[in-house]
Amino acid sequence: MISFENIGMRYGMGQEVLRDISFSLDRGSFHFLTGPSGAGKTTLLKLLYLAHRPSRGLMHFFGKDLASIDRSDLPRLRRRIGVVFQDFRLFDHMSAFDNVALPLLIKGAKKADIADHVEELLAWVDLEDRMHARPPTLSGGEKQRVAIARAVINKPDLLVADEPTGNVDPKMSRRLLHLFIELNKIGTTIVVATHDENLVKSVGAPILKLKKGELTLEKGAESIVDPSPNSKNADEAALSAMAGASAAAQTTSKRRDEIL
Amino acid sequence: MLGPSIKFLPKNEKGEGLLPWVIAVMVFLTTLATASAVAIGGGLDRWSVGLTTSLSVQVVNPDVAARAQTTEDALRLIRATPGVADASVLADASVLKLLSPWIGDLESSNNLPIPTLIEVNLISPDSVNILALKQRLRSMSSNIRLDDHQAWLSQIYNLASTVRIMLSIAVVMIALSTIAIVIFGCRAGLATHAKSIEIMHLIGAEDSVISKAFDALYLEHGLKGGTIGVLIAAIALFGLNNLVTDFGQGLISAAIPTFGTLWWLILLPIVTCVVTMMTARVTVRHALLKLM
Repeated sequence: MISFENIGMRYGMGQEVLRDISFSLDRGSFHFLTGPSGAGKTTLLKLLYLAHRPSRGLMHFFGKDLASIDRSDLPRLRRRIGVVFQDFRLFDHMSAFDNVALPLLIKGAKKADIADHVEELLAWVDLEDRMHARPPTLSGGEKQRVAIARAVINKPDLLVADEPTGNVDPKMSRRLLHLFIELNKIGTTIVVATHDENLVKSVGAPILKLKKGELTLEKGAESIVDPSPNSKNADEAALSAMAGASAAAQTTSKRRDEIL
Repeated sequence: MLGPSIKFLPKNEKGEGLLPWVIAVMVFLTTLATASAVAIGGGLDRWSVGLTTSLSVQVVNPDVAARAQTTEDALRLIRATPGVADASVLADASVLKLLSPWIGDLESSNNLPIPTLIEVNLISPDSVNILALKQRLRSMSSNIRLDDHQAWLSQIYNLASTVRIMLSIAVVMIALSTIAIVIFGCRAGLATHAKSIEIMHLIGAEDSVISKAFDALYLEHGLKGGTIGVLIAAIALFGLNNLVTDFGQGLISAAIPTFGTLWWLILLPIVTCVVTMMTARVTVRHALLKLM
């Protein structure tokens, strides 16, 4: 689904931050991205969520060569990628609800059509009482959950998360991980950048290890995740909220295209 | 062209609140310059209509009896000329009043050799061949002088035309400066909102969605600035109008702007906000093209 071939990346005339990176992500795969600070994780993530073009090499997204994709078609591709930024990047003047609804509004959905789904997803991340609060009044963990809800509301084909459990307690961390696993089961490709070794061990997914701009792939250990039945039901509710929201946005978007 | 926009730009960012006021000042200056250019042209036309359809004939013979005879002959010739609406001799009292700034207030001429004035009204500015009439009056008597006001009227016209051209250039320059200010403001806005734009960009917003938010913001700035500018200018013009009315009739009072000639200035806020919005749109789209 996504492949990198001999990717090199440098900023301006500086040294290459990434060198000869080659890997592929199959549909429905789950990978961790690890490496020490300054190894190039952020740059690799930026390439994955289409913030930059590489300095050299070939990148294929959803079967298309990035070099041949017209700039006007990139937003449609980006909408298939959910991103959880390490610094959350929420809009401080918007409520948690509006932040989560944003990807659907961009797709052309009407607020009234998606309200139930957004509320359901916010309830799943334990923010039903805080959905009208603005990010400056939320704790780090709450912001993290809003950022995750925004990234998954559109039921993306690829989810890229940068330290998604860095600011949440262990219980919430497990719940978020379960959501990622459930999303993964229904076909979403997941890449999680993390320093958390316990998190990596708990899933047992392959690890993309970056060191000084070079990438190696390690097989993951056996998964030790054991979701309880209760959390499974909650995950299903969250998945259904995403599916509903995505469908609502899709319908509006189609209608808009027909009108246009 | 407009459509609903996603309001992702935080309001009241530092510095942005000044833009409507800068636009207001520019619109104020544009309004004054445009109003002056229009009023000078319109006023001069209105005022000169009275002069181009009227002639003054002076009979300057010091001999009272001869002057009366010449006046009667001239009056007969003028009235018989096709294209003349009417002609009448100005009463001595009126002539003395006209001369009062130079000879003081006199109740009678006191044997002063004041000229007899014949006021001639034409049907239209070109209904009479002025040159031919002048020659016929000249051949009747060398003491008859016809003044068609053209000599000094053309000087006034030249002056007014120069002022109008200068004011028009000023309007164009102010409009260009306004556009430049909006471009700078927009670039500053882009820098201020760079993070918000990046987030929208990365979660899949098209350039049009991002620029629509700027459209809405700058439309508001333009409308606010345009309305304030025109309102202040309207108050200034109203004050000027009242001040100039005290001067009485003449060129100055004819040149003061009236609602009839300036009603279209109320369209300026709309023009301002459309220009502001389009400038912002072009600037933002141009900047967005630099993103991947």
